[in-house]
Amino acid sequence: MMMKAPVGGAKHQLLPSCSLLAILVALALPSQAEAAGTRAGSTISNTASASFDTGGGTTTIDSNRVDLLVDELLDVTVASNNPADVPTTPGATAQVLSFSVTNNGNGVESFRLSTVANVGGDDYDPAVTQLYIDNGDGVFDPATDTLYIPGANDPELEPDESVTIFVIATTPGSVVDGNRGIVSLIAAAVTGTGAPGTAFPGQGEGGGDAVVGATGADGTDNGAFVVSAATVTLVKSAVVTNPLGTADPIPGATITYTIVATVAGSGSVSGLAITDNIPANTSYVASSMTLGGTPLSDAVDADAGDFNGTRINVVLGTIAGGQTRTVTFRTTID
Amino acid sequence: MRNTLFLLLAALLPGQALAANHVALANDVFVERVTTDTQGKQRILLEEPKVVVPGDRLVFVLNYRNAGAQPADKFVITNPLPDAVRFADAGDTRPLVSVDGGQAWGQLDELTVAQPDGTRRPAQPADVTHLRWAFQKPIPAGATGKLMFRGVVK
Repeated sequence: MMMKAPVGGAKHQLLPSCSLLAILVALALPSQAEAAGTRAGSTISNTASASFDTGGGTTTIDSNRVDLLVDELLDVTVASNNPADVPTTPGATAQVLSFSVTNNGNGVESFRLSTVANVGGDDYDPAVTQLYIDNGDGVFDPATDTLYIPGANDPELEPDESVTIFVIATTPGSVVDGNRGIVSLIAAAVTGTGAPGTAFPGQGEGGGDAVVGATGADGTDNGAFVVSAATVTLVKSAVVTNPLGTADPIPGATITYTIVATVAGSGSVSGLAITDNIPANTSYVASSMTLGGTPLSDAVDADAGDFNGTRINVVLGTIAGGQTRTVTFRTTID
Repeated sequence: MRNTLFLLLAALLPGQALAANHVALANDVFVERVTTDTQGKQRILLEEPKVVVPGDRLVFVLNYRNAGAQPADKFVITNPLPDAVRFADAGDTRPLVSVDGGQAWGQLDELTVAQPDGTRRPAQPADVTHLRWAFQKPIPAGATGKLMFRGVVK
């Protein structure tokens, strides 16, 4: 097997320095950082050996040893954990975006976090109130996650370690359905940031330098809210009938009221109820309430309607945008 | 470059080894640094590093010299690859390589690597653990030569 090596011959100056350099230049590719990699502060040692026979049997010698200290590479990436825009509503507080911050460097490093809400390309600026550091379960819970205080508890990450960061924001009350609001989370190596290759002498893990990697030692990504609001429109109409067969509102005439609730928008409304006082000088006609054509009893019971002597009340609950509900009841003119 | 290398060689040669064996082997490691000049042209410089970072491309240069009066026969140079270095290439010096810690040797395209499922796949440069150059002819007295290979800091 070893005889296959083609190296050797009369002239042993195999690769003159100048041609070596030329080959290197031709083959060279830009260096590329990879995730984590050799731990900062470790030493790469290289020693070669040669064996030969000058007539007195095989002799083996070692070359000199070259030691290279591995510096700390500063690299970080930020990625949004939200697969799509996060729904919100006008004026809503404690709205949550989730991000992952990953140390792509090869040494332990702390990262300073910040947000930018006025990045542009959206319709409004969410008001960021807090950042929280996840406790590891990936679910935001202010009781168990840690409130982030810049400079006090900058997350410290081992090489390749990730942490989930929650951005808490308030949605302005002025936004309307369909508006988007973007928040950028930025993570920057506490040791320093800058152009790739920028060195911070002596500040690397293990005593070497810290060197800015391909990411510039800072990372950013966007997360977005989308306003999913709904509006309710109520339209009330009345029809009068009387024993004379006309539409005149005379004593004894019956007034049929129709209230149509229309919900519009991409969101939904919850807790919707229709309440209407019985007008003076009229009397509610017992058991005359309907919802969507279905009769409702006057008692407070399993169905949605009740009459308490002065007003009717129909509980509609949560209604999605694009739907309508029709309530009717009758009164007589005293 | 040539002068620099010769100076390094002279500085690194262990005097005792010379006296005892008459053959010397010097080992130098350089890092390729890519810089972009003001015209936007990329230039590749070989530097002798004290420190490196993951992703750096290293050039290992081995200089040998038979300083004795006798030819050196069965001349073999072996370089175990440091764990933190991924083999890239050896220029046109075509070394034998091992992908199993120095047990079996061959050209890279002849070797295979066992996979977890029991099958074997062709060896890749990243699998290389050792390099070896075995010379077919004796190294004449006074002859010198140079070998090189490249790797990337993992």
